[in-house]
Amino acid sequence: MLELLQSIPFQPTWLALPVALPMAAAGLLLAVARLGFRQRFRLQRWIAGVVAGIHVLLALLILAHTLAGDEGARIVYQMGSWPAPFGITLIADSFTAIMLLMTALLVVAVVPYAAGTLDHHRESMGFYPLTLLLLMGMNGAYLAGDLFNLYVFFEVLLTSSFVLLTLGGTPGQINGGIRYVVLNLMASLVFLSAAGVAYGTLGTLNMAQMAQRMDIAPDAVRILLAGLMLVAFGSKAGLFPLFFWLPASYHTPHPVVTALFGGTLTKVGVYTLFRLFPLFFPGLLVAWQPLILTIAALTMLISVLAAFVQPTIRRLISFDIISQVGFMLLALGIALDPRAPVTGFALAAGIIFIVHNMLVKTALLMGGGVAELEMGSGNLGAIGGLAAKRPYLAGLFFVAAFSLAGIPPSSGFVSKLSLLQATIGVHQYWMAAVSLLVSLLTMMVMIRLWQYIFWGEFTTGHAQWTPLRKPWASWLTLGPITVLVALSLTMGIFFRPVLHVAQKAANQVLDRTGYIAAVAPLADVPVEPEFWEPPQ
Amino acid sequence: MTTIVLGLLVATLLATGSYMVMRRGQIKLILGLGLLTHGVNLMLFGSGALLRGATPIFKDKDNFAQELATRAFADPLPQALILTAIVISFGLTAFIVVLVSRRDALTGSDLVPGELARYINAQDPFHTAGGQDISEVLFSDASDDYDILQFELDEIYDRKEPLPVDATDTTVESSTAE
Repeated sequence: MLELLQSIPFQPTWLALPVALPMAAAGLLLAVARLGFRQRFRLQRWIAGVVAGIHVLLALLILAHTLAGDEGARIVYQMGSWPAPFGITLIADSFTAIMLLMTALLVVAVVPYAAGTLDHHRESMGFYPLTLLLLMGMNGAYLAGDLFNLYVFFEVLLTSSFVLLTLGGTPGQINGGIRYVVLNLMASLVFLSAAGVAYGTLGTLNMAQMAQRMDIAPDAVRILLAGLMLVAFGSKAGLFPLFFWLPASYHTPHPVVTALFGGTLTKVGVYTLFRLFPLFFPGLLVAWQPLILTIAALTMLISVLAAFVQPTIRRLISFDIISQVGFMLLALGIALDPRAPVTGFALAAGIIFIVHNMLVKTALLMGGGVAELEMGSGNLGAIGGLAAKRPYLAGLFFVAAFSLAGIPPSSGFVSKLSLLQATIGVHQYWMAAVSLLVSLLTMMVMIRLWQYIFWGEFTTGHAQWTPLRKPWASWLTLGPITVLVALSLTMGIFFRPVLHVAQKAANQVLDRTGYIAAVAPLADVPVEPEFWEPPQ
Repeated sequence: MTTIVLGLLVATLLATGSYMVMRRGQIKLILGLGLLTHGVNLMLFGSGALLRGATPIFKDKDNFAQELATRAFADPLPQALILTAIVISFGLTAFIVVLVSRRDALTGSDLVPGELARYINAQDPFHTAGGQDISEVLFSDASDDYDILQFELDEIYDRKEPLPVDATDTTVESSTAE
């Protein structure tokens, strides 16, 4: 399989496709929206699904090529053949390819779910073009080789997510939307000022060149930039003191939008932290370890405790999203610990955890969304007993919930186990204890959720049970959930190749010199001290 | 000198913007976000060295490094960055204005946490006000515990049915009558 994919040639130019293709397709969809009633919806669904499917193949191809050789390879595309740092640089390594693949997979899963559950109003107001624009923003953020393009792609994905969140315009969505937009805009401003500070002090925005100059920059510059980036991306990822935008808004839109956001958005922030911190601040990652681990522990604990008292399905899962981000930050915190027996194992565990989380969280939110749509309410106190009407959904939700908690044959078990091994390997026994406690609490939360939705006497929030209108709709919704849950189980059972790929990706992320050599920025642009001498 | 003035200007804009964002009215929120984005844009502007009278054009393409070192031209990159940032913040501000006006249409008020104070007053879910008008409790400076009502507000927003007529502002009707 891998050899077959590697035998297909890959031009570096094709790295622009994950950005260009969804943008072109979104434009095409907006043109299709002018057609007559039935064709309009059918064509939009099919085009969106096919484009997302092409992305999966493209990401697989990139993954196969970045895995070539013992060390793995990087694909670099300098747009218009302008040498770095003057042109736009796109760069992909195995971690990028993994994230591209997972995001494309989730969009493939979301499109049929949307076709099954969305009302005509939301479909005609442009759900599919917006989803493709979101995909474009995320792909660009994964591939960007300089800080300002990263900012621009973040804004692309945020802007599409703003519109997706308020699509439909109910009072709750407007209320949640204002909080979401304002808090994310503030985080973007912090990111933008980080870019300004970086350009003013280092004289470049190309990430490879920034990494080069970060070594000779004074401590104050490094600390300032690291702090700004931690605040900016920590807010996007949903870390402890900055996560309030997430539970304030994720329960308001249509369930399909929540499923898409819950699987992807926070993970883009985590990806950026994973990419930038080992590249720019390998020293600070060790020096700031107590700070990072404290944030990770508080993120995990506080949000899992908050999840206990949430009264509705999606509010509960929203808090659980944040608690899982804490595990990922834990992996970053111990990634460069000098006591680690195997370099990069902690980061590999973090990458596996991200992949596991994207699969399972989306499956849970999709399952919860079906329950909420059919029962007419997500209020845990008012509903119950859906297992009698939908035994298959109950089973799928059960497996997904226990995968999230970390029960053996699932991806949750292997990812938590490897993370725990890495944590104990660097003698962080307190963090190991906290992560075990949070796993236990997560299981209790999941049991509570499953019990309230599926167990007991059949009651609904409305006067009567409203199964999804279209007869084929239930299969369009159950199909993607089945695929995601099956992938999670497969990942848990065939863990060896997954660990192999993740280990290679983690080593590539930690290999700074390789990254800088691959981009090869021109060295004759003057470095910071000369640059800042006052004009004569 | 220019740098100090620019720094002070950026600091003033950021401080004013942060203060405005943290106040209750939604118009103040929009103005505050505008000030914040201006502050950050000016900061980007200052990140290329400020040169008086130099154009952002370099004359000799093959001798880029030396021209940069002798500061023969102003750095064009920050200006390109600001242009992008301005466009983005302009679009987002427009989006927030739409959201706020939509919420204004839905609730008949522009106050952030207590939009539905009148409605709560009629129901008074927690009997927090103890008989007095809850909007006085909410907006008096001595009180900072309106957060417990935030959740109740969410519940009202999450309703599927439209709000009862007596919940909306009576001044809206009188203004349309004029």
